[in-house]
Amino acid sequence: MDRINPRRIALLAVAWLALAGTALGDETCNSPYISKLINGQEDFVYVWTLGVEGLGDGSDKLVTVDANPKSKSYGKVIHALSTGARVEAHHMGFTDDRRHIWAGGLSDNRIWVFDIATDAAKPKLVQTIIDLGDKSGYLGPHTYYALPGRMLVQALSNTKDKGGRTGMALYNNQGQFIASYAMPTEGGGDGYGYDLAVNPKKNALLTSSFTGHANYMRPLGELIKDGEAMKKFGNTMALWDLKAMKPKKVFSVPGAPLEIRWSLNPKDDWAITATALTSKLWLVKQDGKGEWTAKEVGTIGDPAKILLPVDISITRDGKGLWVNTFMDGKTRYFDLANPEAPKQTYEKVTGKQVNMVSQSWDGKRLYITSSLLANWDKGGADNEQFLRGFAWDGKALTQKFEVDFTKEKLGRAHHMKLGSKALR
Amino acid sequence: MRGTVYALALLIELFSGLLVASRLRAHPLAALPALDFVPPPPGTYKLHRIMAAPDGPVVGIDGRSQPLSLYTRRQVTLLGFIYTTCVDPEGCPLAYRVFDALKTAITATPALHGKARFVTLSFDPARDTPDVMRRYAGSRAVAMSGGLSWYFLTTRSARELMPLVEGFGQDVRVTVDRSSGRARRELSHVLKVFLIDRAGYVREIYSSLFLHPQTVLNDIETLLMEEEFQPTLLTK
Repeated sequence: MDRINPRRIALLAVAWLALAGTALGDETCNSPYISKLINGQEDFVYVWTLGVEGLGDGSDKLVTVDANPKSKSYGKVIHALSTGARVEAHHMGFTDDRRHIWAGGLSDNRIWVFDIATDAAKPKLVQTIIDLGDKSGYLGPHTYYALPGRMLVQALSNTKDKGGRTGMALYNNQGQFIASYAMPTEGGGDGYGYDLAVNPKKNALLTSSFTGHANYMRPLGELIKDGEAMKKFGNTMALWDLKAMKPKKVFSVPGAPLEIRWSLNPKDDWAITATALTSKLWLVKQDGKGEWTAKEVGTIGDPAKILLPVDISITRDGKGLWVNTFMDGKTRYFDLANPEAPKQTYEKVTGKQVNMVSQSWDGKRLYITSSLLANWDKGGADNEQFLRGFAWDGKALTQKFEVDFTKEKLGRAHHMKLGSKALR
Repeated sequence: MRGTVYALALLIELFSGLLVASRLRAHPLAALPALDFVPPPPGTYKLHRIMAAPDGPVVGIDGRSQPLSLYTRRQVTLLGFIYTTCVDPEGCPLAYRVFDALKTAITATPALHGKARFVTLSFDPARDTPDVMRRYAGSRAVAMSGGLSWYFLTTRSARELMPLVEGFGQDVRVTVDRSSGRARRELSHVLKVFLIDRAGYVREIYSSLFLHPQTVLNDIETLLMEEEFQPTLLTK
């Protein structure tokens, strides 16, 4: 029999190490099917960055920033990989095996697949998926959610009229299209989509809703003056039977519910979201009879000022929630000890405009970026473009580093993912 | 008329599924964590083709080399990677418990006899020789028992193994556990179990979060309720 000798075992180990690679993620907001989490100090922050015409190469790019305070290049850009396209780069997500990041843009249908296993510091573009529009009819891939061996992609729009009617597309990890699922238009559904999140224990998939290409590609100042256009925002969330991939119930959640976070506490079975246009926190949970319900549980700032709560990040114990409001540039912390009645306990202006917020698994570090959408970002001196790293001691945020994405000629800093060499 | 017959058949299948589920609940091995939801009944949902199952040489406990496809076609196959020294309770032992519970349920359901098989494939060819796999399998490794065949397979080398591991998308990496004071080599992996249809396509992939006998059994029945299997559908 052809047994493996020790040398071949060593070679196999090296091969496996190279293939398995480094686990990456915004650690408290990942798909539950990604089991390897960074429970210590992360080494990298990956920033999916919108290209800006005339700035550097003008291309969307995946930027690697050193996030380890013990490193000589801490807080510095150590790698930037351009896609050669400028398509409103927005979000990204890991495959379940954490070998790859999938990323896309909202003005296009392409999905870029980056290998982050071979060299965690230097992602490599290994595949471009181009058939989303042809196979599903959807436009503007937004959320990339790992399922075992697959990626569920939530789109924002459609290729036909570029409105808000959209759906989800399922791919295998090799990038082959499997199936598509339209957002519900019956039972109160508006057909719009934005984010998705899974609670495997309950076989529950939750989706939220935003607006279509025709709206999100328009300048914000122009859009909010267009009454008809402003009616074309999502006002619903939907609960799906994950196994059957069939919508079971539609909730009325006015004002464009965006990011969805299930509590990570094993004893909890609730999810929370924030509405962009109405500045509210909504809780989705089962009532005493086991019926799923959605209800408003809190207010973010002064809703009359339309602060645009854009991103949220839940602590790993489900006891706290970070909320970024784009217009006033504030990062707010809500105590979720009672998720039925969140209480804001802290706020800080972290930029002239802020969008994404990500925290480390231990909750001690927070990362914030600046860009919402190319045509919605502020102008002039308010158009700061950055990644800022903060320390959180439970009482206050202290800025530790900043990367100026304009000065570095990179573009508009958007979605983030974390990386660690320790998991290699 | 044809529609009525089909509806009747569907009802029988659904009823059969409920019976199986109740047997499952009654069995002691169902001491696995209870499902916190009611899964959709067999046949009411679609399992899409995720990918073609890879093929390559494998070795049975009798030491004979055969193509893996011999064990992944013509019957619904539940395949899981293991290594015999795995001690992670959420890893290989969990898969074993689920397979055992499923075997009990299938044995108790004559309608499923001869229509499904299990494959346990090692990803540690250095340790898991055919002899080791035979001891690991114990009395489970029989070609047909209780209406179900359970095959315990390994490979001759990493060169034979890797295309299968990569083809299924089963991640694995070598780690060293020193928690006991002595270095112990482990194969770190995310538990995945693959459900393969009669034509050789992977139709579901279970991680530990979704690996439960009742959902797997429903999926097996869902595949069996599809149109009558045609050998021409075989991928190779």
